[in-house]
Amino acid sequence: MLEYFHTDWAAMTLNDWAGMIITVGVFVLMIWAYVHVFNPKNKEKLESMRHIPLEEDDNDSEDTK
Amino acid sequence: MQASLEQKYNFDIVKWFTVASVIYLVVGTLIGVYIAAELAWPALNLDIAEISFGRLRPLHTNAVIFAFGGCALMATSYYSVQRTCGVRVWSDKLAWFTFIGWNLIIVSAVITLPLGLTQGKEYAELEWPIDIAIAVVWLAYGLNFVMTLATRKTSHIYVSNWFFLSMIIMITYLHVVNSLAIPVSLFKSYSVYSGVQDAMIQWWYGHNAVGFYLTAGFLGIMYYFVPKQANRPVFSYRLSVIHFWALTFGYVWLGAHHLQYTALPDWTGSLGAAVSLAMIIPSWGGAVNGMMTLSGAWDKLRTDYVMRFLIVSLAFYAMSTFEGPVMSAKTVNALSHYTDWTVGHVHSGALGWVAMVAAGALYHMIMKLWNTEMYSAKLVNLHFWLATVGAVIYIIAMWVSGIMQGLMWRDYDEFGTLTYTFAESVAAMHPYYAMRAVGGLIYWTGGAVMLYNTIMTIRQATAARSASPAAATA
Repeated sequence: MLEYFHTDWAAMTLNDWAGMIITVGVFVLMIWAYVHVFNPKNKEKLESMRHIPLEEDDNDSEDTK
Repeated sequence: MQASLEQKYNFDIVKWFTVASVIYLVVGTLIGVYIAAELAWPALNLDIAEISFGRLRPLHTNAVIFAFGGCALMATSYYSVQRTCGVRVWSDKLAWFTFIGWNLIIVSAVITLPLGLTQGKEYAELEWPIDIAIAVVWLAYGLNFVMTLATRKTSHIYVSNWFFLSMIIMITYLHVVNSLAIPVSLFKSYSVYSGVQDAMIQWWYGHNAVGFYLTAGFLGIMYYFVPKQANRPVFSYRLSVIHFWALTFGYVWLGAHHLQYTALPDWTGSLGAAVSLAMIIPSWGGAVNGMMTLSGAWDKLRTDYVMRFLIVSLAFYAMSTFEGPVMSAKTVNALSHYTDWTVGHVHSGALGWVAMVAAGALYHMIMKLWNTEMYSAKLVNLHFWLATVGAVIYIIAMWVSGIMQGLMWRDYDEFGTLTYTFAESVAAMHPYYAMRAVGGLIYWTGGAVMLYNTIMTIRQATAARSASPAAATA
C-alpha cells in the first residue's frame, strides 16, 4: 500500500503542482459547501429559495398591474 | 395576461426551439431505428455507402444529442432563465442567432456525416470548420444566458440556472480542448493529440459530454419543470445545492473509466472507477430530491401524464447512475466493455432519462407557450407508455445480448482455446438485435405521436386565438 501511494515529490512538474493544488483546493471547498449547507443556521435561508419557480406567476401579475 | 407575458418575455425563440426539438426527436430516433434494423438485417444498407451503419450511426448520435437534446436544452433554458429571473432574454438578436446557427450546424452534420467526412471521435465527429461554428454559436448562447442572469430582477439565482450555467461553461471548455486539430484541407484535420493522450482527452470529453450536457443540463430542466408541473416546491433546496457541487466536482474525473485495460496508466482507470462509484451518492440524492417533490401528492401521477414523464425519467436517472459506476469497476468492466451492455446502459440514460424528462418539459412548455391544453391528453398517455415500453424492451435486449457477448468472448476450454469464434458471438446476437429494433420502433412511434399531438395543439391554439382576437389581447 505504501508503495502504491509513494510519490516522488522531486519529480513533480509545474503542471503536477498546479493540478494538485487546484484539486485539493476544490476538495476543501466541497467540504466547506457540505458544512455550510447542512449547518442548521442556514436551513431557513436556503430552503426559502425553493419557492422561486412557484412565485413567478405572482411576480408577473404584479408587473402587469 | 398571456399577451402581456409574451411582451415581457421572448417566448417566440422558445417556441421555435420547442417545435424543432420535437421534430428532431422523431428524425433522430428514426435514424436510430433504421441502423438498429441494419445490424439485425444487414441487407438493409442496400450496398449504399451513405446509408451504411458506419455513416448513419454518428448521424443518429448527433441528431439525438445535439439536434434534439440541444434544442430541448436551449428551449428550456431560455424559458426558465427568463421566468426565474423575471426579465426578458438579454438579446433577442443573439437568441435568434443561436437558433439559426444551431440549425445550420445540424444541416451541415446531415450533409457531411453520410458523406464520410468525420474526425472519427465519438460524439465529436464533425470536421473542423463545423467545430468552429459550434464554438461560436455555443459562446453566443452562453453570453446571452449569462447576461440574462446578470440583468435579473431577483436577488437569488435559482438552482436550475446553476446547472444550465455549469453545462454552458464546461461544454465550451470540453469542446474547444477536444476539438483542437490541425486542418490539412477544408474537410480533413488531424487531432493535435496522439496515441493514449488523444484517447484520454477524447474520453475526458466524451464522458463529460454525458455528465454536463446530458446530465447537468437536463437536471436544470428537472429542477425547474418538476416543481412547476407538480405545483410544489422542490423537496430540499439544500440537497439541490449539494447535488450541484458534488456533481460538478465529481464528473470531471470519470473519463478514464472508458479506457480500462488499455495503454492508459492503470491508476487513472482506478481513479475514474473510484470517483464513478462515489458519484452514486449525489446522483441518487438528486433523483430522490426530484421524486420526493411529489411527496404528499403522489395521486397526481394517476391523472397528470406529463408528471409521469418527469418522475419516471428520474427513476431511469437513478437506475443508469447506479449501473454506470458498477460498469466502471474493473472486474465488471472486464465483462461489459466493448459489448452491447454499454449500448444498453447509454440508452437507459438517453431514452429513459434524457428524452423523457425533455418530453415532460416540452409538453409543459407547449401548454404554457400557446396558453392551451394539449390537443389530446390520451395521446400524451399513449406516448408515455410507448416510450416506457420501448425503452425497457431496448434495454433488456442489450443487457442480455451484452452479457452473452462478454461471456462468449471470455469462455475457453480445458486446453486454453477460445470456445467460440467471434462470428459465432455475432450470430448469437441476432434475436436481440431484432428485439432492439422493435423496442426502438415502439419508442419512435411514441415520438411520432408527440409530434402529431404538438402540431394539433398548436393548430388548435392558433385557431382559437384568431377566432377570438379580443380575448387574446385582453
